[in-house]
Amino acid sequence: MNVFEGAACAFLWAQSQAVELDFWTKARWALWLLVGFFGIFPGIVAYMVWLERKVAARFQDRIGPNRVGPFGLLQPIADAIKLITKEDLVPGGADGAVHLAAPVLVITSAFLVMAVIPFAVGLAPVNLPSGLVYLIAASSLSPLGIFLAGWSSRNKYSLIGAMRAVAQLVSYEVPQVLATIPVVLWAGSFSLVSIFDRQVNQGWFVASPPGLLGFVILFIASIAEVNRAPFDLPEAESELIAGYHTEYSGMRFGLFFLAEYLSVFAVSCLATAIFLGGGMPIPFLAFPVNLLGESAWSYVIVDAMLLAVFLVKVLAIVFVVLWVRATLPRMRVDRLMNFSWKYLVPLALVNVLVAAVWYELVIRPGAFDAGRWMMGTAVTGPIVAAACWGVFAINRAHGARAPVSEQWPSVGRIGPGVGGRGVSRRGL
Amino acid sequence: MLRNLFLVISTLGLACALATVLSRNLVRAGLWLVAFFFCVACLFVLLEAEFLAALQVLVYIGAVSILLMFGIMLTRGVQGTDPTSNPSARLAPGLVAGGVLFLLLSYGISRERGLRTQRSWATTGERPAIEPGTEGPSTPRRDAINNMGKALGVELMSRYVIAFELAGLLLTAALVGAIAVAHREEAFEPSSKGAPASSPAAESASVA
Repeated sequence: MNVFEGAACAFLWAQSQAVELDFWTKARWALWLLVGFFGIFPGIVAYMVWLERKVAARFQDRIGPNRVGPFGLLQPIADAIKLITKEDLVPGGADGAVHLAAPVLVITSAFLVMAVIPFAVGLAPVNLPSGLVYLIAASSLSPLGIFLAGWSSRNKYSLIGAMRAVAQLVSYEVPQVLATIPVVLWAGSFSLVSIFDRQVNQGWFVASPPGLLGFVILFIASIAEVNRAPFDLPEAESELIAGYHTEYSGMRFGLFFLAEYLSVFAVSCLATAIFLGGGMPIPFLAFPVNLLGESAWSYVIVDAMLLAVFLVKVLAIVFVVLWVRATLPRMRVDRLMNFSWKYLVPLALVNVLVAAVWYELVIRPGAFDAGRWMMGTAVTGPIVAAACWGVFAINRAHGARAPVSEQWPSVGRIGPGVGGRGVSRRGL
Repeated sequence: MLRNLFLVISTLGLACALATVLSRNLVRAGLWLVAFFFCVACLFVLLEAEFLAALQVLVYIGAVSILLMFGIMLTRGVQGTDPTSNPSARLAPGLVAGGVLFLLLSYGISRERGLRTQRSWATTGERPAIEPGTEGPSTPRRDAINNMGKALGVELMSRYVIAFELAGLLLTAALVGAIAVAHREEAFEPSSKGAPASSPAAESASVA
């Protein structure tokens, strides 16, 4: 963390809205690349794996890794050494070049996403004016890498896993992107730094009914985007061995592993930055940011606070992701698609309209105050609740009407009049 | 520097395009196409259109190429190694079509006259430099660079609104048409018991 603050102190004055390619910008980028992307982010990923093992162990009434170092803290390092020294196999029938390129594409996508996250004031690697679009575009590269990994392995499990992965990722990308539209509307910019600045003045975006719904949709869709349980069908061990990375070993498997955890970290950072007010500790107060003065020390102190709160929020989201994984069973594939297209997408579309109402009621009139916030909540809250109820009610009614056919995936013999859980209500 | 960068990127792009056409494995050809799309995105970045570059990556690499791969796998056998039809038979018509398209485009682009307030692209030797910083009076160019999404949205909703709406209508019609075509095929199969044995899903279900 000290390195971050040193970087902030040294290069703060090089920050401006438009990117200028002078010496200090290049030096800042080099520092980000060497310290952040090659040092800190892989380290965070390694300890996320440790955290996941510890948390999952606690949920299952075990202890977890505790042999290597105190509390098993050196376990990730031992794992990394093990991965690097393992033999790197390429199957005989595999398409060599593509087999090599696929994990690189996936890990590149995961790293590129991190490049626009604003961790604190002046602590975004790059402040792109179209940052959010860039982020979505960078994350859309990973389905291609996953597909190529499955295709080039010449293994039916790999291929089935890749097909599942691509279908799932393409489906859940839609609600994920739609859920971020309210934020763009309210901030009037795609830049993640502008979105953070807006939340300093307006309070966290999650503190409004459409913002809350958008955050929930983004969270669910992001879990699906990073292939975590309960959406881990592409790598379902009980059915597909390991899915698209069945034929990968050694450090190339390690790259997929790294990419998966880095993506979890990245989507947690994204949700924190655009909905949870970045590093702001209190929803409606511009508390640490308004202490910023002219001196470099005020920047260091404020940024240390912002960064600490930011990391705590990210850790909380990561914990929820691990909690969900330890708690919920895997979804069935048809329900997975239904959930995206029949629940999340309609809700996200309605949410865009409600967000426009919130914009007109609360944000456009000017200065933000409690009265406007209450009025906006009173108007949009019932709409959001009604929309959620409506989507669920319509889907339940529709699902109950659908006739049961032999294509219906179910256990045991089914049919109209036979009985069992899958039988339509109309047939009874 | 910028010109050399442009030359390198466009050479790479042309090489990728050639490899797309000449590759015998369809999935590999699709991959080369992805590389070509990426080169186009790089050219957009050189033109200071980063929003367009991001959309190029999102739409063409993230969506179209995936659809392409799915299409290949669903129609050509899973590994995409089935040879394509004899390429030499279509060489002459392909060359003629490509040449005519190239001539048309180069004629149209070189004869571009520019809008009322702008100079023609064809006669502009060098682009004006990026206006740096946020100080000073705001100009449309600086606003567009600093908040490209907003500038694009305003333009799409005012000056180009008819084209925008027409494109939306066309896409919606295409979507509805695709669903209608796909749905009609399904309607021939009885959806309840006694599905024809030709349906693999029904077969596997009855076997189970």
